[in-house]
Amino acid sequence: MRATLSPDLLELRRELKTLIPILEAEPGWYGSIYFEKKSSQSLSANLKQTQVNDQVTLGAVLRIYDGYTLYEQATDQLDHESLKNLARLFVQRVKNTAQPSNAVCRLYSAPTWKDRLSEGHIPEEILSQIPAQIQSDSQVHFGIRYQIDPKKNTPTETIAHLKELMEQCQKTAPQAGLSEKDLTFVTARQSLAIEDSIFLDRETDMSQTIYRVALTIILMSGADRTFLRLGGLGGLETIQVKPSDILTLLKDLRGLKQSERLLPGKYRVIFGPVLTGVLAHEAFGHAQEGDTCARGRSKAWELHKTGEKVGNEHATILNNPAIFDMGGEGYGAWGSYFFDEEGWLAHEQVLLDRGILKAPMTHLVSAIRLGIPRTANGKRENWTNGVYTRQTNTYFSPGTKTLQELMSELKDGFIALHPAGGMEDPKGMGIQVGISYLEEVRDGKLTGQLFKGPAGGDIQLTGYTPDVLNSIISKSKIEADSPAPDSAQHPWNDVGGCGKYHKEFVFAGCGGPYILLDQVILG
Amino acid sequence: MGTRLNWNLTQLKTELSKRKEVKGWVISQEHIHRRERYFMQETRILVTDQDREVHAQNIDLHLFVRLPEKEGRQGETSKKLFLSLPLAEQIDSAIQAALQTDHQAWELPSEVPTHLPELRTTDPRIAEDIEKVMAEFTDRISMAVTKPRGTTFNSAELFISVHNKEIHLSNGLNHRSSQSRIYNEAAYSYLKKDPYGNPRSDEYLSTRWAVNMEDLNIEKLFDETSDRAEHSLDTIKPKAGKYAVIVDSEVLATLFNTQITQISAKNSYHGLPFIQPGDEFVPNAVGDLLTITLDPSLDHGADTTPISGYGIRQSPLKVIEKNRVVVSPTDQRYAQYLNLMPSTTCGTVVVEPGTLSYEELTREAPQVIEILQFSGLFMEPHNGTFSSEIRLAKLYDKEKGTVTYLKGGSLSGSFKENFQRVRFSNKKVKRAHFSTHGGSESSGEGYYGPEYALLADVSIVG
Repeated sequence: MRATLSPDLLELRRELKTLIPILEAEPGWYGSIYFEKKSSQSLSANLKQTQVNDQVTLGAVLRIYDGYTLYEQATDQLDHESLKNLARLFVQRVKNTAQPSNAVCRLYSAPTWKDRLSEGHIPEEILSQIPAQIQSDSQVHFGIRYQIDPKKNTPTETIAHLKELMEQCQKTAPQAGLSEKDLTFVTARQSLAIEDSIFLDRETDMSQTIYRVALTIILMSGADRTFLRLGGLGGLETIQVKPSDILTLLKDLRGLKQSERLLPGKYRVIFGPVLTGVLAHEAFGHAQEGDTCARGRSKAWELHKTGEKVGNEHATILNNPAIFDMGGEGYGAWGSYFFDEEGWLAHEQVLLDRGILKAPMTHLVSAIRLGIPRTANGKRENWTNGVYTRQTNTYFSPGTKTLQELMSELKDGFIALHPAGGMEDPKGMGIQVGISYLEEVRDGKLTGQLFKGPAGGDIQLTGYTPDVLNSIISKSKIEADSPAPDSAQHPWNDVGGCGKYHKEFVFAGCGGPYILLDQVILG
Repeated sequence: MGTRLNWNLTQLKTELSKRKEVKGWVISQEHIHRRERYFMQETRILVTDQDREVHAQNIDLHLFVRLPEKEGRQGETSKKLFLSLPLAEQIDSAIQAALQTDHQAWELPSEVPTHLPELRTTDPRIAEDIEKVMAEFTDRISMAVTKPRGTTFNSAELFISVHNKEIHLSNGLNHRSSQSRIYNEAAYSYLKKDPYGNPRSDEYLSTRWAVNMEDLNIEKLFDETSDRAEHSLDTIKPKAGKYAVIVDSEVLATLFNTQITQISAKNSYHGLPFIQPGDEFVPNAVGDLLTITLDPSLDHGADTTPISGYGIRQSPLKVIEKNRVVVSPTDQRYAQYLNLMPSTTCGTVVVEPGTLSYEELTREAPQVIEILQFSGLFMEPHNGTFSSEIRLAKLYDKEKGTVTYLKGGSLSGSFKENFQRVRFSNKKVKRAHFSTHGGSESSGEGYYGPEYALLADVSIVG
């Protein structure tokens, strides 16, 4: 089954399309419109209460690119007369803005469907939803696939399910060496967001509907905390909790109560899928964002042009907003969509190929300024925020080994499975990857001993990005528990988020294979 | 959608009061007008990459409903309402959602505060003419960019907004307020050749929030950013060890606004880490003993307001005195849950300064590291630990009389441990921070306190 566009948006969609000629008031102006309606319901239960909250963001962004500047006018006054008046005032605002006399003019015109489809790298999941004989006045809708309808349960049923999960945690606690009393805070939270968006320009009229489902369980004992986070794009199949997940959460919580503090230093460590996702994201994800390159703020743009090597043969990083079946699970990765917020169709892109930097990701104006192809990375926090080049799902290409083979190769060291943020330094090429805690490995086997940071908190991997990428020794397959060849095409991705320039939060997938790193700085 | 409907807040309140399930409500309406410009340099001229204007209106309903079959309990929900959608359907939906929930019952205040003070929350020049202020700041940025420097200007962002808000409570309280906000960031890079003739470059990015124009010194921000960019290539990695470390007001704002949640009544109720009145805020402290006040009346503070969201009068409240917790900040809900008096919960975190000058702080230990910028400071609110990569720092060596710039490596700290022997500088500064995570406009976090603090025995690895 696929998600369909909310029927209440059909009339608005037709009305918005009539504004394009108003926006293209001057020759050479490129007018476009982005509309979004994101309705989310989050339900939670903890030891004291249950909650249901509804959130909706809904608004339209009118856009004019005049060859120099991208102008936007964002509003939530969506009746036809208000929109028409606003479009006219907006045009006047753009006309009244003077450009520097010697600024460079780079005009842009809307790509036709023929242009779009001739690019040749559009995935089948997207192509299959585009009608044959498509024209500029054809309406195209992309809907996310789902197996179990995420709207099928009532709030009462969902809350009952969340309470059951909490009870399971409490009942299972003794199996992990904890008493029920040791669990000082327990919460389970489930959310569903229905995200409708529409993109319009003179050549295109398309919409998409995505179901974003997530479930989080947090356990605390005093100040120690473990969490489980599941989710993806699709239906309730994305948030199936296994009993072993809960037992692991509890065992880790007990382990944290008896953990040691890590002595800062250089270590051999295996990064699990979420941590490798964070590493890829911070290493040559942010540095490969086109607007950061256009602002002169990324070393990657210089290194791409010189072809200098910045990592070894294992260092291949991809960005892909078109993952609709991750890890063979049958549902979409958290950072996926069919088209970005500037109407560019999603496709896979190699950012770093065995240590050599390829062209960066772009959005409309960064592609124009850098003179390189557009990619589907124009995203914004919500309709009230500006658009930037943003990552979607960023990950390392898979290797050939199983996790057990990686553990044997590690021999003595740590495995890191639980993220605690990260930060980029695109110009200085420093990197920071946060780890909640480490699990000790001796002779290729887990000892059960956990380690926190030197001050009892998170651990940070830091270093010079090329050094870190050169320290990768091995990578696992996507299906790391099986020696058989991978059947999954794309890796599993965690439910993640990303901030840019210290603000501007967006969803991002975070995953990949396991990787073994040698002699990296942990502190 | 597509047709304007004509309901208003009066109709909303009338409709809510007719519903038998409804026990009470808090309605919050906010109109935001924001202007944004994104600047960059192209062929040596300042160009505007993006130019945006936003008008947005949010109406949020927090609804309380009766649960007749559950004594001492009530239902609650939060829902965003839209003028473009039928009112009755939205109310029905909110009631249905609230009926599914289960909270310990509590009541809004029975008395409505009167004669609330007029506080300075908005820069009148921004409220009056946002375009004029945008033009003025744009000119100042243009001047700052054209100033001859050894560095290269990369980019800047300038956001200016006005937030007009009103809240309506079912106990009869109506209150209107406004707030102005300014955000400015600047990035400069520096390029030079290494001894082998290879070009090397690095950059520095500064960000700053303010509520009024005087609290944002654009020229100083650009000068400081350029200066730090220029030093970013003359750096070495720190040697691993434990150091005396100076952090600035931006870092202190994050640390204090996070750590202070551990004295809130909310933490006590939910079984989260809680420091109760009478206990030491920093165990076994022997340095400058902390005195902290929540001040909701500070001129142009990030969280300046005469009343809380539940209608409790807000006034300055000393919450920690000489390192002892005096009182738990408690809103109306947790006051009733825990049988406490409701108190101030909003306001800028005001920290009493110390006695030492900045220069004296740099000489307090044989080697002192001053953090100029962290890459990304992460603090865990429940255990008070924090860590980050070091983006740029200075190492003051008293014996050698040298100052060396540092970059790289990471710092791991703990509020409980590293503030035991803290020394504060004697000059106070004001800081503000706003975030919009999750799509809704948040209230701000404010700090007014020492510009610098010297922490002891901080673990650093190079």
